[in-house]
Amino acid sequence: MNKIRKLAAGDINFAILIALTLLAIVLSGVFIGDKMFTVANIQAMAYQIPEFGFLCLAMMLSNLIGGIDLSIIAAANTIAIFTANVLNGRWAFGTDGAARIILAICVALLASILFGLFNGLLISRTSAPSLIATLGTMTLYRGIGMALTGGSSVGDIVPGFSYLGKAKLLGIPFIFWIFIIATGLLGLVLSKTTYGRALYLYGGNPVAARFSAINNERMCRSVFLLTGLFAGIAGIIILSRVNSAKVGYGDTYLLQTMIVCVIGGIHPNGGKGTVKGVLVAIIFMQLLSSAFTIMTLSPYTKKLIYGAMLILVLGMNYFINKLIQKYKTR
Amino acid sequence: MKIKIRDRYRAILLIIMVFYSLFVGLINPAFFSIETVFDLIRTSSTSLMVVIGLLLVMISGGIDVSFMAVALFGSYTTIKIMIAAGIDSLAFAFGLSMLIGGFLGLINALLINWLKLPPFIITLGTQSLFHGIMTTFIGDKSFGAGVLPSCLNKFGQAVLFSFQSDNSRVGLTASVVPILIVAAVTWFILYKTMIGRGIVALGNSEEAARRIGFNPSRIRLFVYTYTGLLSGIMGIIYVAQVNALYPNKLVGDELMVVAAAVIGGTKITGGQGKISGAILGVLIIYLLNSTLILIGLSSSWNDLFVGAILVVSIAVSSYQERVKNRKNLIFTE
Repeated sequence: MNKIRKLAAGDINFAILIALTLLAIVLSGVFIGDKMFTVANIQAMAYQIPEFGFLCLAMMLSNLIGGIDLSIIAAANTIAIFTANVLNGRWAFGTDGAARIILAICVALLASILFGLFNGLLISRTSAPSLIATLGTMTLYRGIGMALTGGSSVGDIVPGFSYLGKAKLLGIPFIFWIFIIATGLLGLVLSKTTYGRALYLYGGNPVAARFSAINNERMCRSVFLLTGLFAGIAGIIILSRVNSAKVGYGDTYLLQTMIVCVIGGIHPNGGKGTVKGVLVAIIFMQLLSSAFTIMTLSPYTKKLIYGAMLILVLGMNYFINKLIQKYKTR
Repeated sequence: MKIKIRDRYRAILLIIMVFYSLFVGLINPAFFSIETVFDLIRTSSTSLMVVIGLLLVMISGGIDVSFMAVALFGSYTTIKIMIAAGIDSLAFAFGLSMLIGGFLGLINALLINWLKLPPFIITLGTQSLFHGIMTTFIGDKSFGAGVLPSCLNKFGQAVLFSFQSDNSRVGLTASVVPILIVAAVTWFILYKTMIGRGIVALGNSEEAARRIGFNPSRIRLFVYTYTGLLSGIMGIIYVAQVNALYPNKLVGDELMVVAAAVIGGTKITGGQGKISGAILGVLIIYLLNSTLILIGLSSSWNDLFVGAILVVSIAVSSYQERVKNRKNLIFTE
């Protein structure tokens, strides 16, 4: 009991998040438990989490340094379009079978690093605010995808590739393993390495970081490079699950990733938040969207709920912080 | 010196527009006609209306991405009431829509003042919230031209003056009247009143504005409410031009208007921006939009060109700012 109290006092937002998630599990178990907690639905959730999760991790990283990356979804779609073009043989350069899949993944990773690096260079070299810089690159990346496809979807990819999205390891989807490993690595890097400490300091107070011998520009570039990389991985996963790529897939993810970051305890002004919070928030969000799908809510109702949720969580955080301040000063 | 640089920026924009128009005209001589100009003004009139409101928000150092949802909320609710009650009055339409828009803008401002968080996140939330409330509680059905109040269609088709061109009559849409009025009022507020000076001061430095006696919260209340009012007007103009009422149009086009304001030289961190610049930005985007087909590219190239212009203009203006700051040993990041 003492331990729990200690834990709750240490990170009250995380404790609330855990409580909310448990509440969501219990409530959905009581009302729609017969459909929610079937093996099939849990499997389906494990397949859906990775693509959304990688986008959330990307958004989290950009929020940690006090910025925001609007271009992640456009980048993911455009990278998926590149990859699909390699896989359906248009840009295959005569490769076939396994070689073509390896080439496609290389192209995707290269493109995602380029996209991320371009964001990073634009922001670090010109000191442009990340919100507006990534608004520009979002339009640009989507424009590249639109110019290539004209808005139609690119499909007809080699069947072997979709195996990546379907494969299982020890009964758990392969893409879910990738997601868990990436989350774990990111958590370790952020909490245990010099790079992680520097990142938190840079996010919390960039001017102080500059005068503490942290190379701000390199920090900024590396964060946006990682953001681009995560967006690219999300793109590969989307392609392997949907079997086709098109501009505009998952446009509602932008709001949902923002909600996940806010619920997960990432402060939008930067410097605060942990990977474990975001991980629980991703699971919470997936529980919700699965429940909404089972209850067959209209997209409009979902929009209402998500919008209200974002505002409510922001308001709740504000009150909790105020209470903590009061408690501390007393 | 600073003023000169900003003016030069707008001159460059204008020169680019002229050269691009010449280029399009060389490829397709049909482009050079008064019809094209009138068409451009008509299609861009809705964005022109909201970009002026957004400009004030951005000068004050904030951003608003909920204005399209506000416009939709205002116009949809108003026209639904008008259809139900059988009211056919343009003044009522504009009045009620402005009232609703202003109220929603006020909610934005209150939330931003209260939570003290980046306005982007808050207005992203309220955008979904407003649209969700409208479609869930007010209605999600489309209305065709037959049931709409006839005054709206009359306003949408009305022209200020018209003359005979080669094959048809062309005229300047009456929608420019509200835009000109709003532009004039906004110019007056921004340059001739204390609140306008306060908006610029707040955008440059909130702390400094507070110390010389401006009340940042009150200025924010004004700015977001004003944007809401303009969004309300814009919603009615849009419905009048399209001559149909949809519950899912407009929302999603916000970022294009933000892009237009940025291309027009508005500084995202606040304190700088001109009405004429924002208008130029909108016109450039719509010019590209409507001429890509004339120069032989499909309209799907639109995003690529707008994105490229946007990235270049962001890079150039931010870099100038950075060089200036570094020279004075100011480190913002």
